[in-house]
Amino acid sequence: MKETRLGEFEEVILLLVGILGEEAYAFKIAEEFESQTGRSISIGATHSTLSRLEDKGFLDSKMGASTAQRGGRRKRIYTITAIGKRVLAASRDFKVALWKQYPAFQIRFQITN
Amino acid sequence: MKPVPPRFAERFLLRCLREDIAEEVVGDLTEKFDSMSKESPFKAKINYCFQVINYLRPFAIRKSKSSYTNHYAMFQNYFKIAWRNLSNQKMYSSIKIGGFALGIAACLLIALFIRDELSYDLKIPNGDRLYRVVGVSNNNGEIRKDVWFQPPFANALKEDYSEVESAGRINPVELFGAGGNEIRRADQDQNTFEEGFIYADQEWFDMIGIPMVYGNRARALAVPNSIVISKRMSDKYFPNENPIGKILITNNNEDRPFTIGGVIEDIPATSHIHFDFLMTMTGREFWPGEQTSWGSSNYHTYILLRPGIDPIELEKKMTKGVIEKYILPDLLKDGLVNAREVLKGARLEFQPVRDIHLRSEGIHDRLTHGDIRFVWLFGAVAGFILIIACINFINLSTARSANRAKEVGLRKVVGSFRSNLINQFLTESVLFSLLSFVLGILLAWLLLPYFNFLAAKSMIFPWKEWWLVPLMISAAISIGCIAGLYPALYLSGFKPIQVLKGSVSAGSKSSTLRSGLVVFQFTTSIVLIISTFIIDRQMGYILNKKVGFEKDQVMLLQGVNTLGEKIIPFKEELVRLPGVESASISDYLPVTGSKRNGNPFWQEGKTKTEKAVGGQFWRVDHDYVKTMGMKIVDGRDFSIEIRSDSQACIINQTLARKLGLKNPIGERITNGSSGSRIMEVIGVVEDFHFESMKENIGGVCLAIGRSPSVLSVKVSTTDMPQLVTSVSALWKDFSPNQPIRYTFLDDRFAMMYADVQRMGRIFTSFAVLAIIVACLGLFALSAFMVEQRNKEISIRLVLGASVKSIFNLLTLNFVLLVLVSLLIAMPISWYMMQTWLEDFVYRIEITWDVFVLAGLMAVFIAILTISYQSIRAALTNPATGLRSE
Repeated sequence: MKETRLGEFEEVILLLVGILGEEAYAFKIAEEFESQTGRSISIGATHSTLSRLEDKGFLDSKMGASTAQRGGRRKRIYTITAIGKRVLAASRDFKVALWKQYPAFQIRFQITN
Repeated sequence: MKPVPPRFAERFLLRCLREDIAEEVVGDLTEKFDSMSKESPFKAKINYCFQVINYLRPFAIRKSKSSYTNHYAMFQNYFKIAWRNLSNQKMYSSIKIGGFALGIAACLLIALFIRDELSYDLKIPNGDRLYRVVGVSNNNGEIRKDVWFQPPFANALKEDYSEVESAGRINPVELFGAGGNEIRRADQDQNTFEEGFIYADQEWFDMIGIPMVYGNRARALAVPNSIVISKRMSDKYFPNENPIGKILITNNNEDRPFTIGGVIEDIPATSHIHFDFLMTMTGREFWPGEQTSWGSSNYHTYILLRPGIDPIELEKKMTKGVIEKYILPDLLKDGLVNAREVLKGARLEFQPVRDIHLRSEGIHDRLTHGDIRFVWLFGAVAGFILIIACINFINLSTARSANRAKEVGLRKVVGSFRSNLINQFLTESVLFSLLSFVLGILLAWLLLPYFNFLAAKSMIFPWKEWWLVPLMISAAISIGCIAGLYPALYLSGFKPIQVLKGSVSAGSKSSTLRSGLVVFQFTTSIVLIISTFIIDRQMGYILNKKVGFEKDQVMLLQGVNTLGEKIIPFKEELVRLPGVESASISDYLPVTGSKRNGNPFWQEGKTKTEKAVGGQFWRVDHDYVKTMGMKIVDGRDFSIEIRSDSQACIINQTLARKLGLKNPIGERITNGSSGSRIMEVIGVVEDFHFESMKENIGGVCLAIGRSPSVLSVKVSTTDMPQLVTSVSALWKDFSPNQPIRYTFLDDRFAMMYADVQRMGRIFTSFAVLAIIVACLGLFALSAFMVEQRNKEISIRLVLGASVKSIFNLLTLNFVLLVLVSLLIAMPISWYMMQTWLEDFVYRIEITWDVFVLAGLMAVFIAILTISYQSIRAALTNPATGLRSE
C-alpha cells in the first residue's frame, strides 16, 4: 500500500513547488528552500523528496524547456496534483485546529485580533 | 574561459545514475555550478562534487541492467556469428581447433598415465600402516639401500616389538626356485614354463589382502608345500573346476609336489609386486639351519604397525635394537673384529607400501618400478604442450583481430557494451574449445593403444567413469575462457570511430606479445628436440659400447635343468651340430634378470682382520669364458685337463683391484666368512657389464660349478632358422615332454635398456607433437602476415622487387624468433639432460653439435613452414592485390 502521509520536510517542498509554479524544478526548489529557510540542502536530497512525493501521487511532472546555463539539457517541472492540494489543505486545517485548542495562543490571538 | 564542472565527477555521476533521470540531474547540477562559478569557480567545483555524492541515493542509482537484456537471443547471435566465422575461415579454424585438439589429446593421455602411476597399491587393506623394511648401509660414505633381510629377521621384529602387529616375508630369489619354473599337473606329463613364482609367509599373504576366489585365506599357505595360484593360472590348468587340494609338479621334481591351498584374483597391473604362484615358506628351509641363521639375506620383509604408531620413532628404536641384539653378535661370532665399524651408519627405514612403486629410486629390490620424477616430467611436458596449444589459440585470435575490428566497431555503434563484446568473444572461444575437446577426446581414444605401447602400460579409456563428462566440460569451459580472455579484452577495446575509419592497423599493436608467444613455443619444441637427440645418443652409446663380452650370436636355451643328468650328453651332442661353436651351462649371464648372488671375498688369511669385498660368485663350466666371448687379460682360462681347476677361480679386474691384488695370478682368495672355500686365482677376465650401465661394474669371481637352468650356445652361422630347427630337434629327443624355450643374448641385453628406449620413444613422440602444434601456429601466423601485407608486397613487386627479396622480407622475422628460442632453449636443455645423464655411470658427454643440429632442424622446419606462404605471396600477380581499394 502506498504511503500517503506527509512529513514536515515534504510539506515544505510541496509548498515550494506550489509557490514556484512554472519554475518548480529540483535546482530552483533547492535554491528557494535555502533562501526561505536559511538551511542548506543538496539538490540530490531535494530530488529524492520530489520523486517520493511523485510516487505518493502528490506531484506530477513533465519535461520542460532547456537553457544555456544547463548545457542545453531539459529540466523536469513539477506541479501539484489535486490530491496534493487536498493533503496540503488537510495538513493546514489540522494544524490550525490544533492551534485553536492551545489556550495561551488563543489569548494572544484574541488580543491581536 | 568559461569554467566547466569537473569531468571525472560528471562521468562518475553518469555511470551511477539511472538513465531516465540523467538529463535533468546533470542539467540541475550544471545550472547550480553555473550560478556558483560566477563567485568562485573553485568553490563551485567542490560543491559540484558534493552534489554528485549526494545523488548516490537509492532512487537515483542505476539498477543492474541485465534484467533488460534478452540473453537467449544474444547468445543465439553470438553462436551464429561464431559459426559463420568458423566456416568462413576454414584454414584458420581448422588449425585453431586441430592444434588445440592435438594438445588436449596429448594432455589427456599423459593425465591417464599419471593417474595410472599414482594408483599403485591403493587397494591394499591397511595400506597406511603397512611398510616394507629397507636396510641402509653406509660403506665409507657410499650409501646403499636394499630390502634383503635374514630369515629370522621378520619374526624377531614381531616378537621384540609390540608396535608391530604382524610381519611377513617373501623370497623372490631365483636361486631357490622363485621366478620361472617348468610346471605341470600331477596327472599330466607335458611341462609348461611359467613365470611369477615367489615364496611367501602365510602372514605376508594375510597382510597383502588379495581377494580370494577359492579357499580360506587364513589357511591357504599354512601347510608345508602348499601353493596359492592366481585366477588366470587356475583357469589355464584347471578350467571350470575348483583346484583346491590338487597337485602341481614343478621342474619334474616329484619329491616335492605342491598342493593348491587357494586361488586368488589376478594381481592388478597397479601392484608393485607381481606373481601368479605363491609358494609357502611354512616348513621350508633351503639348507640346514637356514631359517635360524643370520648369515644370509634373501627375504623382503613387510611389517604391519599397530594403529597410531609413529614409524620414524620405531625405525630408530628398531635400528639400535636389532643391530645390538642380532646382527652384531652374529658378525662377532664369525670372528669379524671390526664388526662394530662395519655396522656404523647402518639403519632401518620403513617404506610405506604405497610408495614402493614410485619412490624406490636407489633401493636395490630387483623389481621394476615407476619413477616419481618421470611422473613430474610427463606432467610438465603435458602442461607445456597445452600451453603451446593455448598460445596458438590466443595468437591466431589476436592476429585476426583486424578482420573482426569492423564488426566490433559496428556492434559498439549500435549500442553494444564492452561487456557484451567480451561475452561474445568468450562464447566464441568456449565454442571452439568445446569442439577441440570433443575432437581431442576422440583423438586420445584412438591413440591410446599406441600410447600404451609407448609407455608399456595397459590403460583403458575411462569412458565409464562418472567424472569424465563433467570434468571435460568444465575443463573445456575454463580453458576456453582462459585462452579467449586476452583476445576478448583486446578486441573489445577497439574504439568504434577509429575502427570504422579504418585506422586500426592489422593488429600490429600486439606484435611483441605474439613474438613472445612464438618464442615460447619454439623454445619448448627445441628443448624437446635436443632432449630427444641426447637420449637417442645415450641409447646408441649403450647399445654399441664394448661391454666386455660378445652378445651377438648367442642363443640361450632355458629350462634345461629338467634334463637332470642328461644335460652333459645333451651339451656334447649340441656342440657337434654344424654352426655351433661352443656351449656353456651356467645360469649366471651378463644381463640383468639372470641369476645373481652376493658374496663376501677376502684374500686368504685376512677374513678376521679386513673388511670383506662384495662381489658376485658365479658357478660356470669350462666353456663359459669362450662362449661369452670374454677376454682373459692375465693368466689363463679354465682347462678341462687340469683337475685342480675345480678349486681355482677367475676374477674380473674390478675384484682384483678391490682386493688389492697387484699380481693376482697364484693368489688365493676365499668367499664366505668361515673361510671354507679357498680358491687359487688362475686368470683375470676383462671387466664386463653384467648389470645396467646406470651402475658401476662390480666384482665377479667365476668358479667351476653346476648351475643348470640355462645353456648358452655360441653360434657362427648366417642361417639362424636352420640352426634353431636343428637345436629344437635335438631338444625334442632329449626332452619330449617339454617345449623348447630359447632367447638370444642380445635381445636380453636390449631389454635391460627398454626403459631408456621407451623414454626415448616417448620424447620423440612428444617432440614431434610439440613441433607440429608450433608449426601449425607459425603457418597460420605467416599466412596472416602475408594477407596483411598484401598491398605492400604487391607494390614492391610492381616496383621491381625480386622474389628473393620478398621471401627474405617475410621470412627473416620469424627465423630471428626461432634463433632467439634456440638461445633460450640451449641452457635449459643442457641442464635437464645433464641431470638425466647423471643416472648413468657410463654416459656420453653432451657436445655442441647436438645443439647445432637441433638448431638447424628448428630453423629448417620453421623456414619450410613459412616459405609456402612467402613464396606464394611473392609469386602472385601484383595486380590481384592492387585492383580493389
